[in-house]
Amino acid sequence: MWQVYLKELTELVRDKKTMFFVILLPILVFPVLFGIMGLVVANVAKNAEAEEHRYVIINADKAPELTEALFYHKNFKKVESDLTEPEALKQAIRDDKFDLAIIIADDFSADVTNLTQSQWTVIYNMSSQLDMIDKYFNQLLRDYSKKLQLAKLDSLGVSAEKVDALLQPVKLEKVNTAESRENLGEKIGGFVAYILIPLCLIGCSYPAVDIGAGEKERGTLETLLICPISRTSIVLGKFLTVLTTGLASALITVSSFGGWGYVIGSLMGVDIVAKTMSTLGVADLLLILMMLIPLSAIFASLLLSLSIYARSFKEAQNYIGPLSMIVFMPLIVALMPGVELTWAMAMLPIANVALAIKELIKGTMDIGMLLAIFGSTVVIAGAMLAFCVSWFQKEKVLFR
Amino acid sequence: MIKIDALAKSFAISRGQKLSDSEKQDVRYSKDAFHSVRNVSFDCGSGEVLGLLGPNGAGKTTTLRILSTALQPDSGSVLIEGVDVLKQPVQARKKIGFLSSSTGLYGRLTAYENIAYFARLHGMSETALKQRIEELFTLLNMHDFANRKADAMSSGMKQKTAIARAVVHSPKVVILDEPTTGLDIMTTQTVLDFIRSLKQQGTPVIFSTHHLDEVASLCDRVVVIDKGISAFSDSFDAFKALSADGDLRQSFMNVINPAGHNREYN
Repeated sequence: MWQVYLKELTELVRDKKTMFFVILLPILVFPVLFGIMGLVVANVAKNAEAEEHRYVIINADKAPELTEALFYHKNFKKVESDLTEPEALKQAIRDDKFDLAIIIADDFSADVTNLTQSQWTVIYNMSSQLDMIDKYFNQLLRDYSKKLQLAKLDSLGVSAEKVDALLQPVKLEKVNTAESRENLGEKIGGFVAYILIPLCLIGCSYPAVDIGAGEKERGTLETLLICPISRTSIVLGKFLTVLTTGLASALITVSSFGGWGYVIGSLMGVDIVAKTMSTLGVADLLLILMMLIPLSAIFASLLLSLSIYARSFKEAQNYIGPLSMIVFMPLIVALMPGVELTWAMAMLPIANVALAIKELIKGTMDIGMLLAIFGSTVVIAGAMLAFCVSWFQKEKVLFR
Repeated sequence: MIKIDALAKSFAISRGQKLSDSEKQDVRYSKDAFHSVRNVSFDCGSGEVLGLLGPNGAGKTTTLRILSTALQPDSGSVLIEGVDVLKQPVQARKKIGFLSSSTGLYGRLTAYENIAYFARLHGMSETALKQRIEELFTLLNMHDFANRKADAMSSGMKQKTAIARAVVHSPKVVILDEPTTGLDIMTTQTVLDFIRSLKQQGTPVIFSTHHLDEVASLCDRVVVIDKGISAFSDSFDAFKALSADGDLRQSFMNVINPAGHNREYN
């Protein structure tokens, strides 16, 4: 078995394609890709914040203070227009004449004695995910409303100190019991699982194709089968090779992200990474690794079974494509907002490991549940491996 | 040395698999199985070269795969130097060297590593395998490319490496499945020389082929398999005597079509 393992590993290390997938991809390509992605997102957000929105205001004279604040706001630019009807304004916005129309009600009066509510209308395209218009305009309107409120209350004889009691009878002080780590873990924990688990799969899949279907395609399988070692030893040797590369891929990625995070963090003075790394203890990292081992074992046995069945590289790749989709499904479930690690979720393979990784990073893992997940994953991995071994004994699989 | 008796092997046909018209005419197809090998018996003594002839799909490869323990027969027996291949496959494998024209090498390993890997799988010690590989390199004149990766070798180099790999454990019998099919003349010569050298050492060789000239120059015994049955098994001279003028092609045809009906194989 170890002979097979050593030989397969030697061969893989010499293969440029495998090295690319297992080492170069996580060390260089992924961080660069994620870096670029982050830059683009940051840029888009920055641009959206700096963008100037052209507006038209109807009945501006009814609320001069707001009109003035709007006029001097750096993100708003006044545009002249004769239109007053909402439908016409809507069309004009669609035609890109301006971005925002504010219609102040005809009957509105800023006078303190006026004690009726007034209904205004704003018209703009709300389909943007970063709704900056809403954010900026609301801020202005809130300030304006507050001023009116105070003035009106004052005119009704409510003194300044009573205003708070009237407007906000209860003031709430919030004390957060979650440690900063828990907050951070909630945010990045799922993401880490989302990267680690597919990486284990990718790390396993290329070598699996190479040493399963590749053996058939190159015509070396028959010779291997008639060597005086049992077929079980052959499969186990191959299985261990695939498992090794899968785990290596995940490990290299984690260290590379850590390394890059440290470099970027120290260069740009962002200490979020340093903070994350320091809150995660060695024990937690080992536990994460411990969860990944049986999961990778599942992937390795599955992929090897498919690959041994296939007649050629191409056929093997055709089988592995859909498998990746199946692996992603439970991962997505685990990442949905509001999905917590419950006993029911702990029974869902792959998703349970993803959630466990998240909990481990948050530092809120229930040890009983951790053991249950580990145990169930080990059992599944064992069953898959047993299947793979018996699969490898079948003539109809080996000589198709 | 090697005795094969009444081998039979069938492969299940998956449901829904459509048989072609020619397959339907083949007597070996039943409702749910393809009886590839039905009754094959022959034997081969020490230092003898046995040529296995037969039309495509006659069951030659299946027979050789059973001999080499890659496949398990449904019935029949295979004895190599008294070891029952079916009851003690691991023991028997140590005595068998196997090579076919489609046998490949591990492209990213060198010639030496390819051979050493199989030597180790055969349980040879490091010193023994080093010595043996050195010996084979000299015999096959392979020192020039001992450390070249298989991907970068010519087909002749590859074939030599494959030969060395097949006999690194000094097998008691060598089985070759169409060893010269698709090879160029030079490489074919390497293979034929190798068979001759085995013969000189007294190692029995069983090989399947479509080339009657190879049979004429090498074989002591001839077996013709047709539709999964060993239709002829005797000495080369007896095979030659099947036709009036000693034409091997005619002898072959006479075995396949005893009544002289040229139905399929003309």
